Amino acid sequence: MNDVLEALINVGVLASAIRIATPLLLAALGEMVTERAGILNLGIEGTITVSAFGSFVVADKADSLWLGVVSGVGAGILLSLLMAVLVSSIKVEQVVAGLALNLFGIGMAFYLFRAVYPQTGSEMPRSDTFDHAEIPLLSDIPAVGEVVFSQHWLTYAAIGCCPLLWWALNRTQFGLELRSVGNNPAACDMRGINVTGMQYLALMFGGLMAGLAGAFLSVFLSGLFFVDVAAGRGWIALAIVIFGNWRIGRILAGSLFFGYLDAYQLSLQARGVDVPHQLLLALPFALTIAALVVNRRRSQEPLHLGVPYFRGER
Amino acid sequence: MNTDAPTTPGASSGSLLRRSGWRLERRLAVKPWHEVVTLVGAFIIGLAICSILIAASDKSVVDSYRALFDGAFGSRRAVYETLVQATPLIFTGLAAAFAFRARVWNIGGEGQFFAGAMGAFFVSNLWHAHLPRGVMVPVLFIAAAAAGALWASIAGLLKARYDTNEIITTVMLNFIVLLILSYLLGDMWRSPDTFYFQTVTLPESAHLPLIVDGTRLHWGFGMAVAMAVVVHVLLRRTALGYEVRGVGINRTAGSYKGISVPRVTVLVMAISGALAGLAGAAEFSGIHHRLQLDISNNFGFVGIIIALIGRLHPAGVVVSAIAFGALVNGAVTMQIQTGIPAALVDVIQGLSLIFVLTGAVAVRYRLQRTHTDE
Repeated sequence: MNDVLEALINVGVLASAIRIATPLLLAALGEMVTERAGILNLGIEGTITVSAFGSFVVADKADSLWLGVVSGVGAGILLSLLMAVLVSSIKVEQVVAGLALNLFGIGMAFYLFRAVYPQTGSEMPRSDTFDHAEIPLLSDIPAVGEVVFSQHWLTYAAIGCCPLLWWALNRTQFGLELRSVGNNPAACDMRGINVTGMQYLALMFGGLMAGLAGAFLSVFLSGLFFVDVAAGRGWIALAIVIFGNWRIGRILAGSLFFGYLDAYQLSLQARGVDVPHQLLLALPFALTIAALVVNRRRSQEPLHLGVPYFRGER
Repeated sequence: MNTDAPTTPGASSGSLLRRSGWRLERRLAVKPWHEVVTLVGAFIIGLAICSILIAASDKSVVDSYRALFDGAFGSRRAVYETLVQATPLIFTGLAAAFAFRARVWNIGGEGQFFAGAMGAFFVSNLWHAHLPRGVMVPVLFIAAAAAGALWASIAGLLKARYDTNEIITTVMLNFIVLLILSYLLGDMWRSPDTFYFQTVTLPESAHLPLIVDGTRLHWGFGMAVAMAVVVHVLLRRTALGYEVRGVGINRTAGSYKGISVPRVTVLVMAISGALAGLAGAAEFSGIHHRLQLDISNNFGFVGIIIALIGRLHPAGVVVSAIAFGALVNGAVTMQIQTGIPAALVDVIQGLSLIFVLTGAVAVRYRLQRTHTDE
């Protein structure tokens, strides 16, 4: 019982909660922007996998972590460009295009992985990983230093991204236009805003963020690639967007909360505490359904989410 | 603002096209052969792109595809195994196709598959000592259908009552059911004689009988094809089918016509979930004979793709499920014989779907020569 309580505020658990939250936050912010422009991208899981592979293979073969991150992000953007062509230009059903992207992306990543690294024995290929970026002085503060100021640079970047993104979405002309595209594309079109162009940009931003999430999983956390590297994080990011009601502050809180639940159950398992850790893992999904029901009256869901826009109809 | 007149779709595709003396024009009617050409074309383009991948890894394209074909259809045994692979996909494909007909986006086939398998295990565990084979197997399938229907109904009811987005709720429910199963497999359902997350083996009396002895081809395949007929009749010949199609075409008009849209939504979800649940029972009682976390090879999600490639038609679902089963089955042989990773099949499937989707839109237009030659 003591173990169960102690793990709640354990420094290691809190630090790993923030670490686990990072890819969730990155992918969720990207997905939120994409959805704000009216596109429901169910292909994040595939995008994360492709990017994790892109980062891993380049980091390993070119021996440069930075190049790895860049190519992971590039792969993410490329895949979301494909999504953009499908849903914004050709206007196929977004749900289906997203699922196709998952199948294609994960298959492609795993195929290329096997092509580059033929199965030899049981040893997994491994790339370097980034070191933790300890912030001078601040990381020496007891407890807080270890939890908050000894994370990866991408974690700081992800959190720093939140206020910037808030400003861009809520205080700039561009942000207003982007949000309008998701709410009323016909009116935007009338005003001369390029609806398709906006959706391309939003999807590419989503791909960039999912790409960073993928890079985080391979060249920051583990230095490994495997087919299940995303492990449902793309779907959890989708859940976080809804749980956070499309608001950046709540998405940040949701990511940290879901990351914390995961870190907590991992530490309970590691301590051999016999609790049904699966139930803790199921909590985010159950809470997301609950949030959908509870928030339905003040939902910030873009009005035109998931509906392809055809000029001249309705 | 009188300059903002709506433009035609062709005009937006640029002056380059217009200058070339052609323009895009919407077809008045899409004929069935257009769709068939699209499907076959999409598949061929998918294969063609993958042959670039194969060639890039210094393997012979012809040999690889021959191995793929041999593995899928090269022998009697290969054909049976292809049908084995197709069986769960027919069920999950029908599940998705039925729901999508009503424009109810059930993405939860994967979860309903597991709910069905769990329902089947639950009753078999409870009653296998008391029921003879002739009774046990049907009971098992009824339980699976009920469990799948029940699980899917959660999303259906939430949509009917609160208008929640069923795409999201079904995806969330997928994870929840898998985690529940994982919990049960680690706890009260775990077989006492193993360390793994799996149940005891199903007693012989609860196994699905085989169609062909000495193979893995079980009667689940026959049932799947029968279900395709049932779904077709349901859609075409019953009042519910009429309502399903009506709601799918136009929700508002449907409700004016006296169709209760919430009721249809819940029913559609339940039936769709039941079909996916049957897939779970077929795999459990026909192939694995025990419950594990890895009894589904993404069947729920691939079912969605199959439904779309089959144009949401039961016969189309059966055909595309067999084609996908053949790919999965043939890929094993291909990997053994040529060393091409079997994951290539996922790429082929994904690409085919992308081109089918694109083709389905493209087929609605045609290129027409403009008469204003300059």
